[in-house]
Amino acid sequence: MASITEKAMRVLFVFCGLAIILFLVGILYVLLSNSMPGLMELGFGPFFAADRWNPAAYGEPTYSLINMIYGTLMVTLGALIFAVPIGVAAAAYLAEIASPWERELFKPIVEVLAGVPSVVLGFFGLVVLAPLIARIFNLNSGLNAFNGAILVGIMALPIIITLAEDAITAVPKEYRHASLALGGTRWQTIWKTTIPAAFSGITAAAMLGMGRAIGETMIVLMVTGNMVARPDSFLDSVRTLSAGIAIDIGDVVFNSNHFHALFVAGLLLFLITFIVNLLADILIQRKPEANK
Amino acid sequence: MIQTNTNLKIDQTLVQKTINPELIKTTQDNECDYCEVKVENLNFFYGSIQALFNVTVKVREKGVAALIGPSGCGKSTFLRVLNRMNDLIPGTRLEGKVSIHGENIYAPNTDVVNLRKKVGMVFQHPNPFPKSIFDNIAYGPRIDGLKDKVKLNEIVESSLKGAALWDEVKDRLNEPALALSGGQQQRLCIARALAVKPSILLMDEPTSAIDPLATQRIEDLIRELCSNYTIIIVTHNMQQAARISDHTGFFLQGEMVEWGETSKLFTKPEEQRTEDYITGRFG
Repeated sequence: MASITEKAMRVLFVFCGLAIILFLVGILYVLLSNSMPGLMELGFGPFFAADRWNPAAYGEPTYSLINMIYGTLMVTLGALIFAVPIGVAAAAYLAEIASPWERELFKPIVEVLAGVPSVVLGFFGLVVLAPLIARIFNLNSGLNAFNGAILVGIMALPIIITLAEDAITAVPKEYRHASLALGGTRWQTIWKTTIPAAFSGITAAAMLGMGRAIGETMIVLMVTGNMVARPDSFLDSVRTLSAGIAIDIGDVVFNSNHFHALFVAGLLLFLITFIVNLLADILIQRKPEANK
Repeated sequence: MIQTNTNLKIDQTLVQKTINPELIKTTQDNECDYCEVKVENLNFFYGSIQALFNVTVKVREKGVAALIGPSGCGKSTFLRVLNRMNDLIPGTRLEGKVSIHGENIYAPNTDVVNLRKKVGMVFQHPNPFPKSIFDNIAYGPRIDGLKDKVKLNEIVESSLKGAALWDEVKDRLNEPALALSGGQQQRLCIARALAVKPSILLMDEPTSAIDPLATQRIEDLIRELCSNYTIIIVTHNMQQAARISDHTGFFLQGEMVEWGETSKLFTKPEEQRTEDYITGRFG
């Protein structure tokens, strides 16, 4: 009797584990099956041509995702430029400098920041950051890639801080002691020993932050202005792939080329995120080599 | 009653004031022309637990001083007092006076970073940085601000030669230090400490984590180094202390029971407890 329960429990748990894989495969299948007809009919070319995104045009609709890819890259890289230095410095502070009570105070704050809904951050960008950016740079509107980059950066900060702190904490204390015993100051020890030793973990933190930033939709939808024109600078309005899907999916004709094109955009996002997360995972496995 | 009490107090402070300068004077006059490390009435606490009791010792310049004693007797704590590595442990407290080159290293204005450049340390487990062999040795000079490649090369070469490692690694200075064997890693750590040009080297059981052959190489190295450096070594191994040291201190339960020339301490100890320990009656 007991062995039957054991077996039943085992099957249940295995099934739950497999379900995760099933969901992932299912998502990939839906993306592929809905984007394939479009890819078959149009080929890869039109999606990456130096053209416009105008799928609802009367005469010759165009499906180029290239400007949205630029938009996504600008917002994502901008977010990383903003969030990685701050995140790593904050992680070094939490792991190396903060006293226990400071750590007790700051870690829940980081968690609260992680829990702020992106729509709230987007609202903040709309009513606070946008007017500020418009005033500072003397623009008509502050809804642009810069605004989106800052807010997406803020959204990616908690994950970067948490993972980078784990990486820094995992550095064996022997390295720190060696540096201090050689007459290193605390600052030199952090900068020249601890952070380099935690480098792979910190890179992984940045990449997982990037993974979150690429797919972020609500914030960019609210604060980047959503113009599909090719952006020339961070102060131009951009539309990201994710926002592009969200904007069009509501009123697209089912099974039209436009519909399939949106799934091509989704597939692209999925693949980029998948690769970034995979690379991050490989880096995390490469923990700093501990002493025997 | 109250009247007499306050009078007494005043008298005491007067007495202290008159005595203190003389005390300092006599200690300065006495012996500091020959001793590198001088510890007087050292008491050391981890929180409320006292780890060292009234340790007083003078270590001569150059040569090897070994500290022996059973586990937990305070010998490693004593070693880390000398380069203030105990500062890293929260809640530690120290009473008494520790002087190196005649300077009280626990004076409020002490520059700990400079102290640690003068007093190098080699740890129990080899702990090279996860960097190349070259970068390990160059670490100390670089944080000191040295950028000149030619000078760095010189220091790396002389330090590795000083630690008897040069011939083994001269063709692969850019390989990771962690690829070396345990004994080589420990000599690398010695070389890394030498590169900062200290006058004192502290070694905390440097051979306990490596094999006998590598141990012998390090013991030979310590004998070579001691003509230029004052070496203070904590060891679990009494034979090792007897082989390599000029002076030996025996610690027991936080007390320095006996300090003297190694040959004398191991043959004619003055204290019964020392004799019991070295003849293996406990420990």
